[in-house]
Amino acid sequence: MKVLIVEDDSETAAYIARGLHEHGHVTDHMRDGKDGLIAAMDATYDVLVVDRMLPGLDGLGLVRALRGAGVRSPVLFLTALRGVGDRIDGLEAGGDDYLIKPFAFAELLARLNALARRPPLSAAPTIFRIADLQVDVLKRAVTRNGERVEMQPREFGLLEFLIRNADRVVTRTMLLEGVWDFHFDPKTNIVETHISRLRAKLSRNGLLPELIHTVRGHGYILRLPDA
Amino acid sequence: MPSFPMPRGPIPRVLRTTSFRLAAIYVVIFVLSAMVLGAAVFWAARSALKQQMGARIETEMAFLREEFRVGGVDRLIAVVQSRGKGASALDYLIQDSRGVHLAGELPRVAALEPGWTMIDVPEASEDGGRPEQVQALTADLGGGLLLAVGDDFGRTSEVEEAIATAFLWTVGLAVLLGIGGGVLLSRAFLRRVDAIANTAEAIIGGDLTRRVPLRGSGDDLDRLAGTLNRMLDRIDVLMESLRQVSSDIAHDLRTPLSRLCQRLEDARMHATSMSDYRDAVDGAIAESEQLLDTFAALLRIAQVEGAAPSKTFAEIDLSALAETVADAYGPDAEEAGRALIAKVAPGIVIRGDRELLTQAIANLVENTLRHTPPGTRIELLLSDDPAAGACLCIQDDGPGVDPDDLPRLTQRFYRGEHSRTTPGNGLGLSLVAAVADLHRATLLIENRHPGLKVSLRFAQAREALT
Repeated sequence: MKVLIVEDDSETAAYIARGLHEHGHVTDHMRDGKDGLIAAMDATYDVLVVDRMLPGLDGLGLVRALRGAGVRSPVLFLTALRGVGDRIDGLEAGGDDYLIKPFAFAELLARLNALARRPPLSAAPTIFRIADLQVDVLKRAVTRNGERVEMQPREFGLLEFLIRNADRVVTRTMLLEGVWDFHFDPKTNIVETHISRLRAKLSRNGLLPELIHTVRGHGYILRLPDA
Repeated sequence: MPSFPMPRGPIPRVLRTTSFRLAAIYVVIFVLSAMVLGAAVFWAARSALKQQMGARIETEMAFLREEFRVGGVDRLIAVVQSRGKGASALDYLIQDSRGVHLAGELPRVAALEPGWTMIDVPEASEDGGRPEQVQALTADLGGGLLLAVGDDFGRTSEVEEAIATAFLWTVGLAVLLGIGGGVLLSRAFLRRVDAIANTAEAIIGGDLTRRVPLRGSGDDLDRLAGTLNRMLDRIDVLMESLRQVSSDIAHDLRTPLSRLCQRLEDARMHATSMSDYRDAVDGAIAESEQLLDTFAALLRIAQVEGAAPSKTFAEIDLSALAETVADAYGPDAEEAGRALIAKVAPGIVIRGDRELLTQAIANLVENTLRHTPPGTRIELLLSDDPAAGACLCIQDDGPGVDPDDLPRLTQRFYRGEHSRTTPGNGLGLSLVAAVADLHRATLLIENRHPGLKVSLRFAQAREALT
């Protein structure tokens, strides 16, 4: 994927660019908000990484101008410090996701992958299938191996988030934000516990092959069982 | 107390005050309107006097004509000469066709014509006043014989003068009273402004505890002083929070930082293999992540303490929020051998910040999970009392808290003696307290023997419309 990085701190920008290159992605880097806006107007980027505080034109202004010009490229905001209400300001300006420095590169990569491949809403399917697992998000019905699996609403939310991002790594914080709307870091293992319960349900306590895989140090991925 | 030199211009300070300026403007307006009123009275009195004078002369003239018609010139002269010479008496002139003065005290007039004329009386009156003018009505009695009857014009002038004098006195007094009152008012005003200025100077000088004295009268200056004091209190809280954060960082982050440093130095001296180095780096990363975490928590608390409530507040379903938190932590509590039971009244809506409230409730649940033994029953209760507002309460039947620790639980980095060994940074309850403050909620922590009860009471809650 082609990523535009608009970030005035060259060390952070180099850190992001190096990581993305290692994963086979292409990056461009702009230091200044105005230059960033001009580059982003090209609309050839799959995703934009924009720092909130930039010289020339700040991140919010950049994304507002971009959205005003009709460019719909997904934007991930970076910020050094999250103030009360900052995340909401970012999303209201037209940003799609928000990440606070310092961040782990795996977290950034997972989020960029999720943003870049987000399908347009109109074409979004309502029934997802992976191997013998089928999830109908309209009827909120889950079947595994042709048999219905009963789900609590929150369990279904977790499964829906995983299957909408199937074959992509989702991090612990992405799940916390997407499923529970928790925008802080709990000091307990709530994600791990919920995942292990969901696993037990989906695999009938280990009778069926595992679909939810742990990516060590990164997060989880829902994909075909290991051969 | 040190005194601060004020710049001294050519005009005294009292005269430069707002209240004095207002008083001066009022005096000018008063004088102008009094002058307009005075002029109107003056003209009205003058024309009334003239009319009266004219009517009196005309009556006398008609009487004298009648005398002349009955008794001729001789009788007329006799009547005129018999008229008294009092102060209010009329003046007369009888003159024949050749201009010879026959009778009357008025002087001969060369070209006397019938009708109204002004006759000058050249010689001064006895008291040495200015020459008088007499307004006279002249009539031709036939055969060139002219009779003039006049009245002292000076008398109307005297009345006019009296009016003008009274008027000048009134205006003069009003101006004096206005200026005097203005000065007095300004003095009083200045004293109170000086009190505010002195307080501000004292605060600039470093005494942050000073407040503007209140008189308790509830007038506009008093209300301003009250607002200023509240502003100063707020600034004080913010400054205190800032000071607290910096001293917390200095004192409580030094330990983990030096631990990190020691660990790295130890690795440099003793590590012999790749895996030793990797372990050291992993340990250092974990340690610095925890440090960053603590930093973030500290800054978050400071931000919440300094936040303006209106910016991020929205109507939020507190019931749904409490359910979500209970739901998220339920399995975790179960794995840890504790029961988390939620009893949430539905549809309780308050104005607040969703993120912060979620985190506050989660912190309370995490605290309970962390500081109670397995087998503890934890209850998350949300109820709405129409009188007292919504109350969110987390209670357990664990060991509770040492009563001495209770008041210090919300202090940053404070950790009870027996919880020194459990994970945590001692910031969880500080954040809850800050969030409660932001929502004007009361945070109450009490032992319930057995166990601990933490409640957040929202005064502003009300039932949702749905």
